[in-house]
Amino acid sequence: MSKPAVISLHQALRRSFVCLENSQKVWRSVLLECGPLMESLGNLAEQSAALSSVQISNTPLRDFPELEDRLRFKLSQATDTVLSKLNDKMSSLQSVRDSVSNQLSAVQQQFEQNSDSLDVIDVTERSAATPSVADMMEWLQDAERHYRQQFLRRKTLLQTLRVDDFSLLESAPKRWKSLDSAEDPVTDTLCKVSFFMESQ
Amino acid sequence: MEGESGDITASSSNRKCSAVTGSARKTKDNAADWHNLMLKWERLNDDGFRAATSIVNLRRSQSDRLLVDESSSSSSPSLSSAAAAAQQVAAAAELQDECVKLQEVVDKMVAVVTKMGRLMTSQRGIRDLEEFQFGPEGRKVPLFHSWTSKQLEDSCHFLFAAFSQELRLKQTILQEVAHAATPDLGLVYLSCWLHQPFIPPNSRLTLEALLLETGHRPL
Repeated sequence: MSKPAVISLHQALRRSFVCLENSQKVWRSVLLECGPLMESLGNLAEQSAALSSVQISNTPLRDFPELEDRLRFKLSQATDTVLSKLNDKMSSLQSVRDSVSNQLSAVQQQFEQNSDSLDVIDVTERSAATPSVADMMEWLQDAERHYRQQFLRRKTLLQTLRVDDFSLLESAPKRWKSLDSAEDPVTDTLCKVSFFMESQ
Repeated sequence: MEGESGDITASSSNRKCSAVTGSARKTKDNAADWHNLMLKWERLNDDGFRAATSIVNLRRSQSDRLLVDESSSSSSPSLSSAAAAAQQVAAAAELQDECVKLQEVVDKMVAVVTKMGRLMTSQRGIRDLEEFQFGPEGRKVPLFHSWTSKQLEDSCHFLFAAFSQELRLKQTILQEVAHAATPDLGLVYLSCWLHQPFIPPNSRLTLEALLLETGHRPL
């Protein structure tokens, strides 16, 4: 039978994967909520760009001298609201990232503590339902890196936006979406460990 | 302003049970009317925005079609010109429909602003009455918590000025939105309609202050 060290490591991994599954759900739903916000950000930028390209004094709106400034104010106010909502979403993403990082370090710590009693066979042995400890630790590490990178990319995207750079703002929804299409290692991992998670 | 209509619309029942009378009664009812009129305005604004958006979109697809027609007419002149004409007539009818809708919305907005004007006049009347009763200083004890009649009138005036200017803008948009020369101008009309540049953000605050002062909102 398995050594107690392997069993306790398996338990730690199982716990982490359960957490990872929840994290993935939260992450997905937060990203789903970000979609419409990014759309309206791009839309507001389009409106601002249109306002800049139109010479108000040559249009029927010339009777309203303050119009341009006032509209610009309202547009930037609306943009502000959207950005602060996005900021809240980013905090949710950050907390997902942090919780996965914590899971990973918990497993790594467990491994360090037991590493003396584990040999190569113990960490590489696998069965049809249970992947090897080494593989699972690697996947967990990959998942953690995935969240870390994704968070960083999205955060950078938002931080490089400038209020007066409309083209940057207008392309933001597209660039945000393109980050989605990158392959998702977490879903793969969760599939690979689904039998392991069910076994007890 | 959404979701708060229930708070004050029951003004008829307020009218019976509360003991406020005279100028205070009138002022309090005016404040409730302000709230309801502003809610109504928001609803009309949403309806109008939908109509204006379809107008701009219809215009855009119309001009796209013209461009396509022009380029295709050079190569194959008689290509289903009857079908194109029928399509054009249908689009024009739809455009006319949306314009009528927008016209109706603006007509209702005119009615709303007229009512707002009456509220302001009546508030001014209350102040005049108090000056007559208590001299140029006005009353010694405030009607409600702390505001003088002048402050009450000023906030009504502030709101009325904002909405009547906004109404002028809406009327201009109504006349011009179907004739926008460029897509950008169309978009500017739409964003003017949506964001209501002449209704400053603190108009909402002014209304809340009015409601707080007159006791509609608990202090």
